[in-house]
Amino acid sequence: MQVTPPRNLLELFTGFLAIGARSFGGVLPWAHRTMVEERRWITQADFAETIGLCQFLPGPNIGNASIVLGKRWFGVSGAVVAFLGLMGFPFIWVMALGVLYLEWASDPVVRAVVTGVGATGAGLFMATAIKLGRALVRKPAAVALMTACFLAVGIGRLPLLLVMPVAAAIGIIAARRGWL
Amino acid sequence: VILVELLLHFGVLSLISFGGMPAVMPEMQRLVVDVKGWTTPAEFIQLFAIAQAAPGPNVLVVSLIGWKAAGLAGAVVALLAVCFPAAVVSWVVADLWERFKESPWRTAIQRAIAPLVVGLIFSGGYVLCTPETTPDWRLWAIAGATIAASLTTRLNPLWLLAAGGALGAFLL
Repeated sequence: MQVTPPRNLLELFTGFLAIGARSFGGVLPWAHRTMVEERRWITQADFAETIGLCQFLPGPNIGNASIVLGKRWFGVSGAVVAFLGLMGFPFIWVMALGVLYLEWASDPVVRAVVTGVGATGAGLFMATAIKLGRALVRKPAAVALMTACFLAVGIGRLPLLLVMPVAAAIGIIAARRGWL
Repeated sequence: VILVELLLHFGVLSLISFGGMPAVMPEMQRLVVDVKGWTTPAEFIQLFAIAQAAPGPNVLVVSLIGWKAAGLAGAVVALLAVCFPAAVVSWVVADLWERFKESPWRTAIQRAIAPLVVGLIFSGGYVLCTPETTPDWRLWAIAGATIAASLTTRLNPLWLLAAGGALGAFLL
């Protein structure tokens, strides 16, 4: 497939603006549609590789992708422009909804609906975890690590700054021994 | 003072947010609700809901938290604090990543992180549905239905969020 990266910063900005503005219900599908299908900035394989890297890195995945791709095409200014394009519309949306919510927060029905949406979001997180976890259930060491993380952070409410280094160290040792 | 606190706490969180925002939700809740008291547990799940319903990366929940804690400046500071350190890491690693493609350490780290991320994302959902120390069965009913729907259908999550909202109006 013939791909042409964005030719200038304006194209980069409007592309990421288009991703952010349409990304109701999840950014990833819209990022794919905009960059791979509509604008043909990068190939499917390249996109998958970049997202894979960004899912591994700390930080918001798509936010990182905007940095990595912006940098690749235009250096520092590209990274900044792509990030601002991505976040611009959604930031305004979220703040506007936040203000609206504050207006209506005293209404019990509004509170109930919003809380219901929140519980759904929590369910979506757990469904994601289950989907990701399915790939790992055949490895006992992976199951033990998953469970330990949940017990420590979810039930025990221990600080992540404590849990993360310990769990990562155990994980890397286990992986080096071929248990993961 | 709150702005500096937001900057420091969220900045550190940014560096350990492997698996993205869902994985640091439990820590975020612990910090914002339990330690700092910037929001109540009920407000926290509502702010989270607003960010879910809006377009864009779910990282934007931090700007609502920042806004609640310290106004509009708080919103901007919180968002940048969560994104910037991770962005610097991405910037540096993007080049290294290619070079270490064959390194056994790269695969070891990837494999080590995967189960942690799963455990943490699940914790994020669990904590949101358990705002006080005991789980709230109504929240769990909605979350459970969502899990079932999300695992068995390919609906856009927006429909699920709408259905969850409607269910909330009846149950809560």
